[in-house]
Amino acid sequence: MTLFIQQFFNGLSLGGVYCLAAIGLTLVFGVLRIPNLAHGALYMVGAYLTYFFLTSAGVPYILAIALAALVLAGIGIGMERVVFHPLRNAPHTHHMIAAAGAMFFLHSLVQAIWGADFRRMESPITGRVEILGTQVSWQRVTIVITAVVVLIALTWFIKKTVHGQSIEAVEQDRVGASLVGINPNRVSMLTFGLAAALVAVAAGLVAPINLIYPTMGDVIMVKVFAIIILGGLGSIPGAIVGGFTLGLAEAMATTYVSAVAGEVIAFVVLILVLAIRPTGLLTKAVQR
Amino acid sequence: MKLTFSIRGVGALLVAAALLFAPLILAEQNYLLRVLITGITYAIAVYGLNIILGFTGQLSLAHGGFFGIGVYTMGLLTTDYDWSFWSALLAAIVLTTVVGFLAGLLALRTREAYFAIFTMALGLIIYMVISRWEDVTHAYSGVLGVKLPEDIGPLDFSEPATYYYLLLVFLAAAAYVTYTLRVSNVGRRLLAIRTSEDLASSIGINVGLNKQLAFTASAGFAGLGGALFASAEGFIGPNSSSIDLTFELLMFLLVGGVATVMGPIVGTLLVLMLFEAFQDFQAYRFILLGPVIIALVIYAPQGLIGRLNQLTFYWKRRRAAAQKTAAGAPEQNSPADPHDEKTEVR
Amino acid sequence: MSQKSRSTLRPLIALSTVSLLALTSCGNGGGDGEGGTITIGVTGPQSGGGALYGENVEAGIRLAIDELNEQGVTIDGEEYTVEMRALDDEYQPNAAATNAQRLVEQDDASVVFVPHAGGIHAAQEINTSRSEFLIGAYSSDRQIVERDNELTFMIPPTFASYSEPFIELFQDQGAERLGLLATASEYGQQWTTMMTQDWEGAGGEVLSNNNFDYGAVSDFASAVASALSEEPDVILVGGPSQTTALVIEEARDQGYEGGFMIMDQAKFEEMELFTDPENLNNSAGPKPVAEFDDPGTDELVERFAEEITEERPLTAETSLNFQAVALVVKAMEVAGTHEDPTAIREALPEAATEVDDVFRVSGFPDVVTDEGLLISDTLEGAHRDSEGNYEYFPVEIE
Repeated sequence: MTLFIQQFFNGLSLGGVYCLAAIGLTLVFGVLRIPNLAHGALYMVGAYLTYFFLTSAGVPYILAIALAALVLAGIGIGMERVVFHPLRNAPHTHHMIAAAGAMFFLHSLVQAIWGADFRRMESPITGRVEILGTQVSWQRVTIVITAVVVLIALTWFIKKTVHGQSIEAVEQDRVGASLVGINPNRVSMLTFGLAAALVAVAAGLVAPINLIYPTMGDVIMVKVFAIIILGGLGSIPGAIVGGFTLGLAEAMATTYVSAVAGEVIAFVVLILVLAIRPTGLLTKAVQR
Repeated sequence: MKLTFSIRGVGALLVAAALLFAPLILAEQNYLLRVLITGITYAIAVYGLNIILGFTGQLSLAHGGFFGIGVYTMGLLTTDYDWSFWSALLAAIVLTTVVGFLAGLLALRTREAYFAIFTMALGLIIYMVISRWEDVTHAYSGVLGVKLPEDIGPLDFSEPATYYYLLLVFLAAAAYVTYTLRVSNVGRRLLAIRTSEDLASSIGINVGLNKQLAFTASAGFAGLGGALFASAEGFIGPNSSSIDLTFELLMFLLVGGVATVMGPIVGTLLVLMLFEAFQDFQAYRFILLGPVIIALVIYAPQGLIGRLNQLTFYWKRRRAAAQKTAAGAPEQNSPADPHDEKTEVR
Repeated sequence: MSQKSRSTLRPLIALSTVSLLALTSCGNGGGDGEGGTITIGVTGPQSGGGALYGENVEAGIRLAIDELNEQGVTIDGEEYTVEMRALDDEYQPNAAATNAQRLVEQDDASVVFVPHAGGIHAAQEINTSRSEFLIGAYSSDRQIVERDNELTFMIPPTFASYSEPFIELFQDQGAERLGLLATASEYGQQWTTMMTQDWEGAGGEVLSNNNFDYGAVSDFASAVASALSEEPDVILVGGPSQTTALVIEEARDQGYEGGFMIMDQAKFEEMELFTDPENLNNSAGPKPVAEFDDPGTDELVERFAEEITEERPLTAETSLNFQAVALVVKAMEVAGTHEDPTAIREALPEAATEVDDVFRVSGFPDVVTDEGLLISDTLEGAHRDSEGNYEYFPVEIE
């Protein structure tokens, strides 16, 4: 039972990270209809930026994450302008290739700047807390709390602010949105910036429990794709549910089946879901 | 029309001649011959990808996986089970075709981005099976001593040049299939599906069946390429089925030109040669190559061969127009070639 | 070709220029063999997940070459300069073989260093037939010398050598239950198979296999927790040092107090930088390079910090390749040729006794066997005891 509770918290914290990473991806898809394959690379750059601000610039942890999110948002917007904007009328195959090019570029660039070394980022949040008879590290608790806070803030932003509502409007109906005077260009940039900021937060949170290295984003990328498919492309609640589900499923499969099962479960679930429901689980009816 | 074909024909002939004489020119350059040999096995798989992506417009990201199934069928059957090269080759084609058929039944229920991501997951699962199923595939230890083809009369395939010519035969077959597909009704049906599935079904095309056939054939070619690759290398490991390979194949196709006959081979060899040339930049070559890929997709999405075809088409039209105006005939647009810009640039 | 529509032509022109450039630069080969240059070829990962590993291997080769050039290399009465030519293979076997062939044909290398088993196997398919070159094989998998490839020498000690002393060490402490938590790579897989057999052969119990791919998992906690739930006395871990350190830390954090057997890929000196060294107490692994008392040890440690980096310590990946380059260049001097791989290979045993002291860093080989194994009589393993002190025990290479 203790094992179960422990794995539950492990799964929950992993799920929080997945969530934050996946929401950005699903937002971009909802608004621009682009499966952004470079999302994992952005995540990696986010981790390096957090590392840079924390270690080299000596900024406190939370502020370092915020700064990284800010800078990465800028990079995200730049990517939208340079790579995806010119391709806005091209078929999705072209986006995927261009995104792969951007991914290769970011890998190389980061390796040129920071080297191929593994880096360890020490979080100031140390120690452990006892919950329901098991030891859970404060870092993991922080991950879960931050994820929830950010998700609430995001929901508020999308539902209550003008900018947020414009994102939702475009997501629901592109033509209609432009008819009422929403500038799709601005919304595209906003969405990319927001997505990058969210993935930077995810990376900053997970960095202390793992290592930072140029290919760290590859692992998470395929996972977040599985999540947003599970949740239905473009659906934020879907990404949240999918993220936590996958985090927990991985932890439980590792424990009760085998470590390999933990690694493949994302793809197996993905295949099963799409085989049964080719449009994903929580797809909104309006989208087509 | 006649002129267009002759220009294209000359181009194809030039490429064919270059490939045919390459071993003689590269007499002592085993290394370049090796790059060509690897390239041709990849190109055969790219011809497969061309059928499903180029003609039918479905982005399959499972082709690295299908290639891997071909690699391992050849690798395991000729070593652990001591089959001959030819029977293993046949088995590899049959197996990938069957897997492709079954995968297609599920995968083709999904559309667009879903299809791409579904097949990506499929590719990843194939990779995981190959890299983890130790008892059968030897996982990361790889497979040693994959057989070369048995001698046929005086043909000794352990000689790289001889093996190269064998590969050329398969390559020519792949290109020929693509050519017939392009000029046949089947190809037109697939192109119609690429343009719009709804439209295609409204004019009586059985979209599901045609996509299923295209995907199955496409997987079979990838398997053939993989099997030949395994034999050429002699040693194989799991990363011959990885997702990275899928993206490489995709890049080859895009550079060469989707839905063209010569695109896969030209694109594959060109990119591979570029990679070799950029080796001196070592780890940092992608700082340059990444933007090159992006620029290619933005500015030349129809690929090298697609671009050339387009140019010859314009040229032909201008000449035709000039002749017609000279003869006083009213100007008239030529009937849509399957390669005219509207379908091509899509 | 048409002269019109320059704008549509532009990308085409760009593309064909680049490709022309590519072809010409592929075509012209090294050819600068004269003027007394020896090229040592290297193909390893320079990008992707294995990049750091590749860098460490190259560093050793470069440091050795600088030293050799300073001392001067004379073959058959003629002075030579040694050069390194390194190509990226992204850890892929077929790319490694292609690179090796390129290094041999275009840069006239007669020795190519390959630091991964897959690449070595692939290079062995061609190095005695389609091309001729000697493989400096840096992989501790014994299989690479069991293929009767007469042009291969194996640089690191076989990993099987560690099995017996490790098992003895922990079973003497009363350990019975062995947990498995190594990385799911080729390497981890072979270590696991070997250790499972040997541990059971020595009367111990092997628990369920919790190996996972260290490079492909975002969170180690789950796998560690399930390994610990079976209450092992000792756990087999190992992969890259940095991730191994995190796995060990996670296990300690979850309250594990038993021992660790650390696969030779992970190094104590690197792990100490990535986790509180106390976490590493009560574990066995390869001996840190700096702890050797060989004549060249201190100098190389110093040079590594000065010329390569101070951010990470010198490890066996660098030092063993450093030694191997010195050995192979000495063999060229002994054989009187830098072009004949067979003669160089045959001269290795004699060369081993003649290499300058400065190149003897961490268990320099005393004997080179017919198979191509480099045997050092002074190889040791390290045991970090429960107080955090290192003790060393002999390891016999087999």
